[in-house]
Amino acid sequence: MTGRRATRLDADVCVIGAGAGGAVVAAELAEGGMSVVVLEEGDWHDADGFTARMPEMLARLYRDGGQIMTLGKPPVLLPLGRGVGGTTLINSGTCFRTPARVLERWQHEFGVDVSEQSLQPCFERVERALSVSEVTPDLAGGNAEVARRGAERLGWSHGYLRRNARGCVGSGVCTLGCPTSAKQHTGITYVPRAQQAGAHIVTGAHVRRVIVERGRARGALAQMASGATIEVRSPIVVVAAGTIHTPLLLGRSGIGSQSGWLGRNLSLHPATAIFARMEEIVDMSRGVPQSFYVDEFAPEGIMFEGAAGPPAYAAMSLPLTGRRHAEAMAHYRRLALFGLMVSDSSRGSVRTLAGRPLIRYDLVQDDLMRFRKGLAHMRELFVAAGAREVHLPLPEGVSPEQARLRDLKLMAFHPLGTARADARPTHGVIDGDLAVHGVEGVYVADGSAAPSSLGVNPQLTIMALATRLAFGLLGRDMGSGHTNGEPRGLACPS
Amino acid sequence: MTTSSAQLETGSLDAFIAAAPWPQRMGLRALLAVARRPRGAALLARAAPWDQLPRGLLTVGHYDDPRVSRMLGWDVDAVIARGQELRRVEGRP
Repeated sequence: MTGRRATRLDADVCVIGAGAGGAVVAAELAEGGMSVVVLEEGDWHDADGFTARMPEMLARLYRDGGQIMTLGKPPVLLPLGRGVGGTTLINSGTCFRTPARVLERWQHEFGVDVSEQSLQPCFERVERALSVSEVTPDLAGGNAEVARRGAERLGWSHGYLRRNARGCVGSGVCTLGCPTSAKQHTGITYVPRAQQAGAHIVTGAHVRRVIVERGRARGALAQMASGATIEVRSPIVVVAAGTIHTPLLLGRSGIGSQSGWLGRNLSLHPATAIFARMEEIVDMSRGVPQSFYVDEFAPEGIMFEGAAGPPAYAAMSLPLTGRRHAEAMAHYRRLALFGLMVSDSSRGSVRTLAGRPLIRYDLVQDDLMRFRKGLAHMRELFVAAGAREVHLPLPEGVSPEQARLRDLKLMAFHPLGTARADARPTHGVIDGDLAVHGVEGVYVADGSAAPSSLGVNPQLTIMALATRLAFGLLGRDMGSGHTNGEPRGLACPS
Repeated sequence: MTTSSAQLETGSLDAFIAAAPWPQRMGLRALLAVARRPRGAALLARAAPWDQLPRGLLTVGHYDDPRVSRMLGWDVDAVIARGQELRRVEGRP
């Protein structure tokens, strides 16, 4: 597309974003017979271009090179994917269904009608489409074995994670683009299905606004890098631009702000990483990096999950400097690494400053306590596993119990909640059916819809909700009573 | 670890910095330029927080070098070659 003339496309539905939510909605709607246009800001990423070289892949596959930082105490690094597949392209592939306690809270506190039973067919459908299965011990790698041994000795609850992967050989670089295409991200699953069913995928399209006329969706206006504009005319618009960008797009479009919750309620699942030097050869980069979890403290909002990567990844995360860093890296093959993730009570916000998202997030005392406790338990886990030395992500001489906000080095991978669902228009941006309050025909299908923190990796929740939305728009019942999980009247994906 | 600018594959590191949001990009470039000079590095070492960012970047650049990572038991070329082979043989996308 060249020049500055607007290209007009007509469709039943315009989907903004081709990540976990948008790709699922697009495929289900297109296969259900609707005409669909997908506007994706990023590019297509072919596995031939994956080099597993960290700086290069961060620059290519991540938004802003993976260098988005929140403002607040402490600052949090927030890596997000960019391109067809969205963050599913660069996540670890971990698949958890939404915990029952979270769904119960959504029903009672936010009036969102999502019971475990009603979502079950959606989960089953997504899991089938993505070949979700539990990691086998032989693929889990030495890093998982260290954590498993520690958890066994302590009697802590643990297990192998479920992932969306098929034919995985444990390349160990999920977050840098899977070189074997084993990870079933939406860019190689749902998006091709959408295309096959006739959906039009436009990449490199920055959506400027959702077009709303007389209280109804009329489409979306996007700008290409060339300067050309695309106008999609559609009576339904599904916004799936991600938790950081969806509220900004809704705000630019003048919708969703009446409750005052747009861009607020941001939760992140802040996380940190703990290293241990073992006697044995661990080879953390061999096997599935995130293959194992310890959920002994999950009811308290503390979750341990595997985290591993090649030397550059370890070097970046290793909380040492100078000679000590070099010495530890010289023993890279004996280093084990595990992540600590907190189901946060803290809430942040997203707004725009000079055209860029400004993310504000301050960790509250309750979450600091979770980190203190979690770090102490992680040290206990590694010691029980036989660690020779444990490297906590804290300044030298600071114990977990003494850790202050400024001592924590945090990353986060699961932003949620900035266009939260609540049945009451005064309390949420969207309703329980993911429709934006106060306007007809605009829906949200990404992590921003989540009313609260999940405590587990959110991709399956986002995809299940997107499936539910698609079937709602098609006027077809997912059939919560179905024992085989098949939606009525629609063929299941192969 | 002894990291010198000669050891770095500056291309991918530069692309990484170029992808950063503009305020960070400008800051990183300035700090890196200082950190790559011996006198500059010595100066930065006296201001610990400002030292961490460029040193972290240089560290990532160092360990990202296939020659370095191979010495630590990880062969990036073999990982990529196996991926290409699997995709070719099994017709994966």
